[in-house]
Amino acid sequence: MVRLTDLHPVEAEHLLKRAKDMPAIGPGDWVDPPSVKEATVAIVSTAGLHRRIDPPFTIGSLDYRIIPGDTQFDDLVLSHISANFDRSAFGQDPNIVFPIDRLRELASAGEIGGVARWHYSFMGAMPDPSQFEKTGEEIGRLMAQDGVDIAFLVPI
Amino acid sequence: MSEAVVPPRALWVPFPLGRPLGAVNDPDFQKNVLRRALGLIDTAVEPTIEDYAIETPDEDLSENWACPVNLSSATSDSLSERLLAEVAMLRPWAIETRHQRGRTLFGVTGAGEDQVDDVARALATIADSGDVISEPLIDGISWTFEMPLLLRHMADDLRTFYHEAVTARPGESAPNHDALNQWIFSETVLGETLLLVADGLTQASNVPMAQLVRGLLIPEGYYKGGSAFPDQVNFPIDR
Repeated sequence: MVRLTDLHPVEAEHLLKRAKDMPAIGPGDWVDPPSVKEATVAIVSTAGLHRRIDPPFTIGSLDYRIIPGDTQFDDLVLSHISANFDRSAFGQDPNIVFPIDRLRELASAGEIGGVARWHYSFMGAMPDPSQFEKTGEEIGRLMAQDGVDIAFLVPI
Repeated sequence: MSEAVVPPRALWVPFPLGRPLGAVNDPDFQKNVLRRALGLIDTAVEPTIEDYAIETPDEDLSENWACPVNLSSATSDSLSERLLAEVAMLRPWAIETRHQRGRTLFGVTGAGEDQVDDVARALATIADSGDVISEPLIDGISWTFEMPLLLRHMADDLRTFYHEAVTARPGESAPNHDALNQWIFSETVLGETLLLVADGLTQASNVPMAQLVRGLLIPEGYYKGGSAFPDQVNFPIDR
């Protein structure tokens, strides 16, 4: 996501170093889900999104927030700690980060099977993604219980 | 980073950070991105990273953006008075944007939607004093963060307000991330204030996380021409 050449050189250098230092993780077990036209899709965001009633994310957060599928956009805020992404776009159009309306439209058109009741949000900015393993497994169990076939991870 | 994580199916997109689905207020564009990503479900037979090479149509316009509000030079020597004067000039337009959208992102600090002046005054006071430890005491605000991390989110609340103000006029382009940063840090009292706060964090080298918060406060490249992060960054883990 994003070309390094489109970033400020200082930011590009910083991200290259992070990528180089990032421990290798995958791959996990291969799973063949139902066809997209039959699948229920849930969004998993790493934008630090949450409802106003939720506690904000903080430095080093490994926990998640629930975003019910019927959450109104005026109830969603961003508490991601990074200053190096364009959060104004979310202010203009929340679907650019949390495409719930787009998923509903695809479901109405029969292009996907359905949209999950619950969606999830983390805050990224963690140099070692393996720290999320335990929470990630929990989210996986919850989504399976909710009949989710596809987790659509949207980075920020 | 995706190559290190090895996800089962990934779509690389060329869009700026903060715009993973590409084009703002363009449902067809966003759905095409979704279709391509979800399409990997039916086509990938092993871990796959596919490139999506279609650019958004509006990036050129936002690079040529100019602030529609005339922020004339203030005559006061007081940073707080100049910042509040700037906020006052932007307020009618921010209110208009909030009315058009029916929402605002302002308030992640715990401040109410109508407490922009309080947040601005508190930030200017901290910039002047260099005190990055003491929590600003303001009637009616229960901050959701502790100092010094609160500074990072006060900056975001005010940036949100400023962006709301400059995107109020229909038909005009909105600044992209670079244009917004360039404007804030070279033409506004807010930018001046944030850089002073960053200097205060530099001076507070004995305050835990001060240097890290400085890096989170100022976008890369805007702190004395370089990074505001310290050379060695250690992110604590909040279990």
